[in-house]
Amino acid sequence: MSKMFRLFSLVLIAVMLIGLGACQSAPTPTQAPAAPQPSATTAPAAVQPAATATTAPAQPAAATATTAPTQPAAATATTASQARVLNLWYYEPPDGALGKAWAAAQTQFLATHPGVTIHFELHTFEQIQQTSQMVLNSSSAPDLIEINKGAGNAGTFAVDGLLTDMTAEATKRGWDKILSPSIQTTCRYDPKTGIMGSGNLYGVTDYGEFVMLYFNQDMFTKYGIKVPTTVDELYAAADAFLAKSITPFATGGAEYPAQQIFYMLALSKADRTFVTNYQLLKGIDFHGPEFTYGATEMATWVQKGYVSKNAVSMKAQDMQNDFEAGKNPMLMGGSWLFGGFQTAKLPFKWDMELWPGNKISLGSGGNLWAIPAGSKNKDLAYDFIDITLSKDKQTLMGNSGGLPINADTTKITDPQTQKLNQLFAQLVATDGIGFYPDWPVAGYYQDLVSATQELMNGTKTPSAFLDEIAAPYNAAIKK
Amino acid sequence: MKHKIASIYIGDTVFLIPGITAFLIIIIIPFITNIGISFTKWGGVLPPVWIGLSNYQRLLGDSVFWLSFKNNVILLLAMTVIPTIVGLLLATFLFDYVTNNFGQGVSSFFRAGFYLPQILPSAVIGIVWAWILQPDWGVVNFVFRGIGLSSLAHNWLGDPSTALFAVMVVMVWFQIGYPVVIFMAALQRIDPELLEAASIDGASWLQKFFYITLHLIRPEILVVVLTTTIYTLKIFGQVYVLTRGGPGNATSVPSYYAYKNFFETQQVGYGSTVSLAIAVIIILLTVLFINIQTRQENAESV
Amino acid sequence: MVAKKYHYTNQVVKWITLVALAVFLLILLMPFIMVTINSVKTEAEFARYGPLSLPQGIDLTSLIDFWDRVNFTKTLFNSTFISTSVAILAVILSLLNAFALGLGKVRGRTWLLVFFLMANFLPQEALAYPLYYFAKFLHIYDTLFAVILVLTVIQSSFGTYLLSSVFSSFPREILEAATIDGCNKLNLLTRIVAPLSIPTLSVLFVFFFIWTWNEFFLPLILLPSNANQTVPLALAINQGQYGMNITAQSASGLLGILPCIIFFLIFQRALTKGITAGGIK
Repeated sequence: MSKMFRLFSLVLIAVMLIGLGACQSAPTPTQAPAAPQPSATTAPAAVQPAATATTAPAQPAAATATTAPTQPAAATATTASQARVLNLWYYEPPDGALGKAWAAAQTQFLATHPGVTIHFELHTFEQIQQTSQMVLNSSSAPDLIEINKGAGNAGTFAVDGLLTDMTAEATKRGWDKILSPSIQTTCRYDPKTGIMGSGNLYGVTDYGEFVMLYFNQDMFTKYGIKVPTTVDELYAAADAFLAKSITPFATGGAEYPAQQIFYMLALSKADRTFVTNYQLLKGIDFHGPEFTYGATEMATWVQKGYVSKNAVSMKAQDMQNDFEAGKNPMLMGGSWLFGGFQTAKLPFKWDMELWPGNKISLGSGGNLWAIPAGSKNKDLAYDFIDITLSKDKQTLMGNSGGLPINADTTKITDPQTQKLNQLFAQLVATDGIGFYPDWPVAGYYQDLVSATQELMNGTKTPSAFLDEIAAPYNAAIKK
Repeated sequence: MKHKIASIYIGDTVFLIPGITAFLIIIIIPFITNIGISFTKWGGVLPPVWIGLSNYQRLLGDSVFWLSFKNNVILLLAMTVIPTIVGLLLATFLFDYVTNNFGQGVSSFFRAGFYLPQILPSAVIGIVWAWILQPDWGVVNFVFRGIGLSSLAHNWLGDPSTALFAVMVVMVWFQIGYPVVIFMAALQRIDPELLEAASIDGASWLQKFFYITLHLIRPEILVVVLTTTIYTLKIFGQVYVLTRGGPGNATSVPSYYAYKNFFETQQVGYGSTVSLAIAVIIILLTVLFINIQTRQENAESV
Repeated sequence: MVAKKYHYTNQVVKWITLVALAVFLLILLMPFIMVTINSVKTEAEFARYGPLSLPQGIDLTSLIDFWDRVNFTKTLFNSTFISTSVAILAVILSLLNAFALGLGKVRGRTWLLVFFLMANFLPQEALAYPLYYFAKFLHIYDTLFAVILVLTVIQSSFGTYLLSSVFSSFPREILEAATIDGCNKLNLLTRIVAPLSIPTLSVLFVFFFIWTWNEFFLPLILLPSNANQTVPLALAINQGQYGMNITAQSASGLLGILPCIIFFLIFQRALTKGITAGGIK
């Protein structure tokens, strides 16, 4: 036996030694960082001409109108001579609309940047959520990364000095014309406080998202219930389904869906000023009419059985599964679910509407492209952002079930996708973007999940629930 | 002779050099750094700001922390007491009864089987147990309804009155193999002649168990109790995956609370304070255990 | 006659206990069974019949899909390399420490034991930030080496403790006899103590390997790049925000568990042989 053990250890030691060799060559494509903040704006200027020259042919006329198509051959020579690598990280799944559009963007980038390769890494939301601050602060940071919006994420990184200020670049490339003001809210952060909405442009988004009512058309037809377009009709439909022993709404209390119900109900009583005050951490009355309505109404929903009490421990995936299995006829869901529903080829007719009764719904610009401050390939990163914002990539995203902000809507073929885009455009046009409840404070998401679970379980009254969620918010204001 | 024996012992400190160096760098210095950070307010990137004892004052009055601590103590039942006792019984049973009646192979098979849960990464534990405990179509409720005991079907992980209990069941399941393996190796050390001699003297199984076996494997028992206690006080992964500390804070534990502060709310200073509190409790317990153990060893060598 | 009857009921009792034990084991292993049967189902099957039904055939799409998506070959290599290295290094380190503490007469033995157990005192979250800055400083952030270094130290804490506790009942006569024969300390360690401790060392090796394999938190912090990921990290990818389907999650779970089970089964035999070869005689 000891012979076998000895042999095994020898083998393992050999593997180790070989591995140690491999280990040395493993990581870190980019070198030591430490480019201090001010240089962020000056460095790109030098390589500007080269970048625009190589992307000019790919862009349709409209987008390049603001970027001067200049200095061709001489500039391209410099980019071709070095073997440069664009380190790109994002976490959108490859089979989703964004994944498809961005994969196409990668292909185009490679075609227009000879001599440059892309080192692409697919991560997950949770990975980025937990480790992005550490990665951004190291030499392992990529050149372009998808980060989460909000004061707790992009805002914090901005304050920490980890992100490149893209304000000047955005003006140069005309991004500020593509991104509408309400979309830009999620891109701008104050470098001293991290509060969203004003300040420098630290992120660029190329898509939007919003929350709406999805419904199972067949179930409505089967029971002869009218699809709701007003609040009264919504409750009438819910009651009608309840009478047939069907739980009207699918939701999930273990993740974001439940808190979104609370917030959406609250928004039905809110105006733009309230949203602004809440989101920009200016302070609101948690026991005021808006949130009180949201909390008490949600508690009523659970009591009446509009949502199942078992949903408390369900995740978003469970909620989707229930809707897809035809268990619940209605769903308050995000536009990010649309692509999945389409791909799943559901066995029933389904459609969507803006949430009845709300002038303002949950929604925002999408996740942000951000450039770590220490990147040595900022020009390449800017080019890539350009491509994702270009009309044909945006239209591709639209046709794949996504929600682009700069697509050629006439080219979107699928009627349901067209409707999705129209609903979003309507929301933007009527200034109906309400953002999300967990944005104002870092780590607020988990507090809201916990508190909402207690509200649903009945272990906290609506008033106690409001006190609980007010605590972290007010603590953040004091800082 | 005395000189020779002395030379066995002198110079052994040399062997400690790699260990001590490594520990200093990887553990001690970060530990001291952690203490330092607990007196500051820090977001992780920009320089920390000294705030003295504020974090500690906050900790004393933090009801969420004390709730998580209470949950942790309750978990000790599931992760130390039950596994040790049941593990000891199972190990003895396998080692004596099963080996004698069915052979070494069978008892090894069972030992391996019992240990398997320990092999699972916490991510898999979370996924699978969430299925099993699913209120609508999970196995547990399915069985209860099937045998007519529908009233026993609960929303195990979503109902705050059952969530901690459900986590405890999962942890017993997870933990039980570890004592079994350690104790079976320990039982190996017992000289069978001792037990034979006792049998000849007329001792029953129970008497042999209590007076000989338990006494002889005392070191391992102490190790198991100590290590499982420390593991419980640091438990994080499974709670994170199963319930994220919810619903509400029903299954929150100090380690998870510290994690929240470090990585979700970016309050590194306060997170360090919470971690330190956990560490102090663990240190006190360990010193206590080691003193007991050393005293026993000294008593034995006399 | 009576003796025969007694023998018969004794046999029955034996087999009943065996069956009871087997049932108990089966219940314990239910999660493994669930993961296995659900990895080879198609998505449609799962959606229609739920997780408890037996698969109607073996569909490997979920497994292959997951494998490609996370480049599981590299992930397996990373995990195996890290776990093996840590297991070996930690056993060696534990042996060195325990030799001095358990068999030597070192001053302040209790305090040194406590010192080594310190590695287990702090929850890992507390070590994250200091180790992160330290790794960056040494330019080993985002390398397997950093993880190996840290986990070796952490695992050897337990090893030192267990071994020194076992060594305390090591028969001193053998050591004395060897010293009289002219053996120096190093030889004592390598020729006598180590071989005789192989049962315990084997147990430690298996434990270290498995614990290191399942480590999630420190690799998450120290290994941000995909190329350096370990198996539990790759599993976390499938639990991601946009929710993978359950069959894919099971598939990833199965692929995550299999290497450990295989390793454990291999070393089961070595463990048994070593242990039955008689502890410290």
